[in-house]
Amino acid sequence: MLSRKVILTGSFGVGKTSLFRRFINNTFSEKYITTIGVKVDKKVVEVRGQEVSILLWDIAGEVKQDKVPKSYFLGASAIVYVFDLTRPSTYRNISVDMDILKDILPDAIIKIVGNKADLIANESAIEKIKEELKVRVDVITSAKNGDNVEDLFLDLAGDFLE
Amino acid sequence: MRFQYGMPHYLIILSTSLPYNMVATSDKKQDKELLNQLQTILLKDDRATIERLQATIDDPVLLSEKVSPIIEDRMAFFKEQFPVEFRVTVDKLIERKLKASQAEILDVIYPVMGKMIKKYVNHQIQIVKDSIDERVKDTFSSRGLFWRLKNSIFGISASDQIIHEMRDYKIEEIYIIQRDSGLLFGSASTENTIDQDVIAGMLTAIKSFVEDAFKREREDLEMIQYGTYKILLQNFYTYYIAIAISGSMSSTEREELGNELLTFADDNLKTLPAEPDEPSFKAVSAKLKEEFIK
Ligand SMILES: Nc1nc2c(ncn2[C@@H]2O[C@H](COP(=O)(O)OP(=O)(O)O)[C@@H](O)[C@H]2O)c(=O)[nH]1
Ligand SMILES: [Mg+2]
Repeated sequence: MLSRKVILTGSFGVGKTSLFRRFINNTFSEKYITTIGVKVDKKVVEVRGQEVSILLWDIAGEVKQDKVPKSYFLGASAIVYVFDLTRPSTYRNISVDMDILKDILPDAIIKIVGNKADLIANESAIEKIKEELKVRVDVITSAKNGDNVEDLFLDLAGDFLE
Repeated sequence: MRFQYGMPHYLIILSTSLPYNMVATSDKKQDKELLNQLQTILLKDDRATIERLQATIDDPVLLSEKVSPIIEDRMAFFKEQFPVEFRVTVDKLIERKLKASQAEILDVIYPVMGKMIKKYVNHQIQIVKDSIDERVKDTFSSRGLFWRLKNSIFGISASDQIIHEMRDYKIEEIYIIQRDSGLLFGSASTENTIDQDVIAGMLTAIKSFVEDAFKREREDLEMIQYGTYKILLQNFYTYYIAIAISGSMSSTEREELGNELLTFADDNLKTLPAEPDEPSFKAVSAKLKEEFIK
């Protein structure tokens, strides 16, 4: 079976831990517990009849990506960069962060995820945010109601098989 | 080809350039005879030379007599000239090769280097220990009686006693883990631990966290302890080995286990794939089980 390391990153409070728990255990909590250090868990997904084991790393959020210990990223096949659709400060500097991440892991797949979609009233507001950003957003999720969370990781697993 | 002295050149030109169809048939045989004779006269010396050469080539002993000095000569020349003419090329080649397969080469070198360094350090320590023993013997010879008395009460020698006390550790689990990703190259354990790859990932995360948080110049986390469990970590280049141990372990035993790991790595882990895959996982795991989990 194919095994791949995937790391969740982004500013604090954007919902990394929530996405982690939604994907791994299919649970959600409104309580905000700051992540200290790292947590690793695994989930096996199936794409096109093949199993892929995703070792998912959840780390403490930092406002800027160069504050995250580099060693956490090393060896990862993909980076899931999460921002909070309701807080512009979490996506304003996204292109700077992308440069930092591409510098650390030039070969990794990077997925840009806008989270907390359930808090945005309508589709057009989301489209407006997407247009504002200089980088393309890969997927809009809600860890709370689970929208697109599974798909995000299935997509990644599919990419790994290519 | 050499010509017999005084033999005119044109004779040959004549006989070879004269087309057959211009000669009468009856003369043909005669001509041939003539030509043969001519050849014999002309080539007598050369024939002898060729025969001698043939003999030399056919006879291995004779041949080697002739050829060996030449080869040796060339070899000597080559040895001398090689560094001059090819050094730059060879240097470049090696450099390129090293760059291309740095990880593999280091994985091959690491265990060997580890062993060499350990051997050296052990040797130095032994020298110090010996000199201390010598001094202790001199200084505390009056105490000898006390020690011997104590040993005779317990019925065993003090060193045996100490060794016995130490020897009750057990290897519970062993993991070969890719250094940065935390993915498993192989594992074995006494019990059926379910999520070994999660443990491997977590260990790697802890390792990264600790090594980063208490950053000192190139120092690695070597042990994690919780309760009666110890997890020993030994670093190689593209991977590290983690061993969970229960019971107590002396520093000598730790040292011995470290050596065992180096040997194991040298024997079994030099050909790890760049990315963990199932066949190599199975092979490595089986080997681990055989060596460390009895
Ligand atoms: N409404 C809503 N709240 C979310 C969502 N994801 C996370 N949260 C909340 O946002 C807060 C921070 O989430 P957390 O996962 O801890 O963020 P992290 O710091 O990036 O790990 C928590 O109170 C979560 O309950 C979401 O999709 N929708
Ligand atoms: Mg968190």
